Amino acid sequence: MGVITISHEFGCGGDTIARFVAEKTGFLLVNKDTIARGLAEHGLDVPTDRLEDLIEDEENEQLLRQYVEAMHEYIYDLAIRNDLVILGRGGSVLFRGYPPALHVRLIAQFNRRLQRVIKLYDLNTETAVKLIKEQDRQKRQYYRLVFDVNWNNLRNYNLVVNTELMGLEDAADIIIAAYRVHAEPQEIKDGPGSVEIEDRLFEDAAETEAEEFMHPSEEEFARMLDFYRIRWEYEPRTFLLEWDSEGNVLEAFSPDFYLPDQDLFIELTTQKPKQAWKKNRKIRRMKDLYPDVNVRLIDKKGFESLLKKHSIDQDDEGEET
Amino acid sequence: MSEKKPYSTDELKILFGKEEIEERITGLGKAISRDYAGEELIMVGVLRGSIYFLVDLSRRMHIPFAIDFISVSHYTEQINQTGVVRITKDLDLSITGRHVLIVEDIVDTGLSLGYLLRNLKTRNPASLKVCTLVNVEARRIVEVPVDYKGFDIPNIFVVGYGLDYNEKYRNLQFIAEFDRYRQ
Repeated sequence: MGVITISHEFGCGGDTIARFVAEKTGFLLVNKDTIARGLAEHGLDVPTDRLEDLIEDEENEQLLRQYVEAMHEYIYDLAIRNDLVILGRGGSVLFRGYPPALHVRLIAQFNRRLQRVIKLYDLNTETAVKLIKEQDRQKRQYYRLVFDVNWNNLRNYNLVVNTELMGLEDAADIIIAAYRVHAEPQEIKDGPGSVEIEDRLFEDAAETEAEEFMHPSEEEFARMLDFYRIRWEYEPRTFLLEWDSEGNVLEAFSPDFYLPDQDLFIELTTQKPKQAWKKNRKIRRMKDLYPDVNVRLIDKKGFESLLKKHSIDQDDEGEET
Repeated sequence: MSEKKPYSTDELKILFGKEEIEERITGLGKAISRDYAGEELIMVGVLRGSIYFLVDLSRRMHIPFAIDFISVSHYTEQINQTGVVRITKDLDLSITGRHVLIVEDIVDTGLSLGYLLRNLKTRNPASLKVCTLVNVEARRIVEVPVDYKGFDIPNIFVVGYGLDYNEKYRNLQFIAEFDRYRQ
């Protein structure tokens, strides 16, 4: 069935836009509240608001997992019989492998969002700033922990709408128009496929500049690859690691980098070994499931060694001198 | 080792002793001499770590050859943030149409060696091969061909025989594991 996923920064008008899209298309709106109600009907009564709390506390991993699984199952189930507009909750990742789905991301400058939030919730500036930052942080963390995907990687979306300079209903209309084009693709004569190789190289360079990284170490690593003129892509692929009996995704893993010339995926971790076990487990699972895919973990020690952080003489530390 | 050590070597765990290294280098010298017999060979030492190895290896060769040196910059966090790798000392000899053997002290990530190979390839040598004293496959990011190697080691940090830590330990006649996190 039809699927439109909408991911939004806090204060962009995501709730209203999603409602408009649902009303105008007749699609069923799926958001935090409808999921909570739906799951409660199935006897799993975890308020969606608590999800963020669960994530904060490692003790609750088992419960979080259960809840996330139930939620994914519920959404996939709904999608069998209904056309859906899914607001947040990682919809873009859940339906990543489903080509008819349109994945939308709403953005707006921080100040614009701030103005909106102050007005909407009747808050003072300080509280509103805190609220926006906290909400965005939670979204980032949710994507990272549940899907291991960078929420801010705009390349994971088909359409990015800046809601600063338009009414929310106009934004909804744009999304609907995009969905219609997307659902009935025409032959694209001037798409990226027809661009000359040289142009592509420049484009790649420009994209590199604009890349948003999850972690400073990733940015540093990208700079190092640039230094040695090694082509790279940031989180280009998500590997499914676990799914239930109906094929619904329960766990996925997106390695940080792909080096196309080396055909190698690289995952960086600057976590201490004690905290890196989750990542190690994912990599082991990935190696089991995708034996033909080359993936390498660079741990904290290895990464520091790469950057020669412990060296006084920066030129030469016994590495390929 | 002489009585007067320039610094303490107590914290080092010897992996390959002087004799073992000599024996290995003798073997490499033989193999290279055999493979390049009758060819015009240039041995290119990558500064600075490879000089000890290059000197000893060259003395175990029994065919004529030329020696040259090259040096490339390395990435560090503090400097060169926007720069690209560059050759800080280029070859003096032309390698076009000649057989080139790059001599390294260690090959680990393959990042700078990969760059060097790409760079030298554009000068159209008759062939381009790599000889390294120490090979750390576990740290490889870029696949590079290693045609001759002295020793394979796991993912550990080593010093001695040209390999340094902050310019220390190069002149040791053995190769030792060095735990720099204990410093």
